[in-house]
Amino acid sequence: MDILTGIAMFCIPPLFAGIIHDYLRHGEMTAKRKVVFYAVYFVVINLLTLGVSYLRGVRGIRFDGMTVTYKIKYIGVGIACGFVIPFPVCLIAEEMITLGGIKRYSVRFIKDIRKYLPYAVRSAKADLRSEVSNSYLDWMWWLIEPFCMMLIYTLIFGVVFHASEQYFPVFIFIGITMWGFFSRSVSGSVNTVRASRGIITKIYMPKYILLLSKMFVNGFKMMISFAVVVVMMLFFRVRVSWSILYALPIILVLFLFTFGVGTIMMHYGVYVSDLGYITGIVLSMLMYFTGTFYDVAKRIPEPFGELLVTLNPVAFLISSMRGAMLYGSVPLSGLLLLWGGVSLILIALGAFTIYSNENAYVKII
Amino acid sequence: MSDIAIDVRDVSIYYRILNNMSVQRSFFRKKVRSEVFEAVKHVSFQVEEGGILGIVGKNGSGKSTLLRSIAGVFSPNTGVIDLRGHSVSLMALGVGFKENLTGRENIILSGMLLGFSEREIEDKAQEIIDFAEIGEFIDRPVRTYSSGMHSKLAFSITAMLKNDIMLVDEVLSVGDERFRKKSLAKMKELINDDDRTVIIVSHSIETLRELCDRVMWLHDGEMREIGNTSLVLEHYLKFMGNG
Repeated sequence: MDILTGIAMFCIPPLFAGIIHDYLRHGEMTAKRKVVFYAVYFVVINLLTLGVSYLRGVRGIRFDGMTVTYKIKYIGVGIACGFVIPFPVCLIAEEMITLGGIKRYSVRFIKDIRKYLPYAVRSAKADLRSEVSNSYLDWMWWLIEPFCMMLIYTLIFGVVFHASEQYFPVFIFIGITMWGFFSRSVSGSVNTVRASRGIITKIYMPKYILLLSKMFVNGFKMMISFAVVVVMMLFFRVRVSWSILYALPIILVLFLFTFGVGTIMMHYGVYVSDLGYITGIVLSMLMYFTGTFYDVAKRIPEPFGELLVTLNPVAFLISSMRGAMLYGSVPLSGLLLLWGGVSLILIALGAFTIYSNENAYVKII
Repeated sequence: MSDIAIDVRDVSIYYRILNNMSVQRSFFRKKVRSEVFEAVKHVSFQVEEGGILGIVGKNGSGKSTLLRSIAGVFSPNTGVIDLRGHSVSLMALGVGFKENLTGRENIILSGMLLGFSEREIEDKAQEIIDFAEIGEFIDRPVRTYSSGMHSKLAFSITAMLKNDIMLVDEVLSVGDERFRKKSLAKMKELINDDDRTVIIVSHSIETLRELCDRVMWLHDGEMREIGNTSLVLEHYLKFMGNG
């Protein structure tokens, strides 16, 4: 019996990965490929999970005397991996990535960005204007909404849960501002192509321009919120140091990372009609792991807190931002650069995938 | 004979009827079939600079697909479409407008997508608005427009912002009688400009007879005939008449 559940423990997570993979490939895989990919996921996921349990101090696997909790945790970690890993694997396995191809696409990408940037900016401006032109309080909503959110979170986590940091309201406000930008852009990206059907069936444009324009809208709102942050910093008499200059590169990396993730989700969003729900779930899970209203490094026990801050770029960016703006600490420049680089790779992956598939989008939607 | 402006060589376009996946279906699916529907089959033709080509064919014969492909909305699956570096604009019913934005904003955005700079469009904007005759609606969101206003504005944008190649998809019968006459006159003016190359898709035989140098007849995605306007139209009418 123990052995049976043990085997299940190894086999179930890759099954999930296989299903997600199949799903991303729109169910067009042959049986042979399914077996191959299942084997690949089996090895990768189990290695990862074993690695995690090794870090936790489990040396060696013995089926007898293994606790149920351990098995459940093992499957849990495996399934989490199973959800995430197929995305990059699909991207790489699907595209012929050659040096020539990369060069050609990069040149085209830069040219297109230059050509369509004015459009994206103009479209964002127009969207912003139309968003408020019919509402009573006009653009005040951009201030009111995040401000109220901040009050709610401060109340709940400060008063009810006794979570407290220095300058707690500002601390939370920075968190929800940055997280809001990321989550809104990513969850919006899934439906972007479908929502813009009217335009893209009539005229060609690189489809990520739609996302870019949307991100400008969200980015503008984020900037307004940061203006509020500055006002709050004055109010709370935060001592400011030179490290506040790091805010700019941090925002830049956040923008790039969001764009990278967004382009990839946008591509899959075209084919998978209910991807929106999955992204919703994953995002709300991530929100709690990002420390929007608490300090990840402090609140989550060692070594996971540190690990989470290092491995979850949004958490890292938010905590660096808080450090730079509120506590006068300089962020880890190396890590910042690393995530910047990763973001560029994600953008390349996403944008190139869009290039090679965007012709088919119009036929599907 | 002048230079070639549009060169279409052996173009085929498929629609893959992809089953739109969802989580539930990927769990409970038995077998996946993806069907291929060939909308355009091995079509080749050329249009010289300044030429006017009409395309006729019954519904679903691939006319609009071909036109969109020439406009670059999607590339053909096989074959080549060579525009020799000309700029192109597609004029179709219900042009891509952002529903929440005002007509004025949409003029600028569509213009930018057609390859014009913000400055150029702002210079032309008044002309477009005057031609469209939609009055104060120009400053209201496009979602409040009637379908007539929609197409009037769309027509005006493409007519005023002139590109080398104009692709016209069934827009010659938009609006009320007055606007139709006006747009037809404008169309003729644009078309008679010797530099402009035009492809017109229409079901209106009279319009084609009046405007086109040559006509192509598409039938179920295949090119049935291309050539002299009156000859092709006559064959087409005979064919349609017999069923």
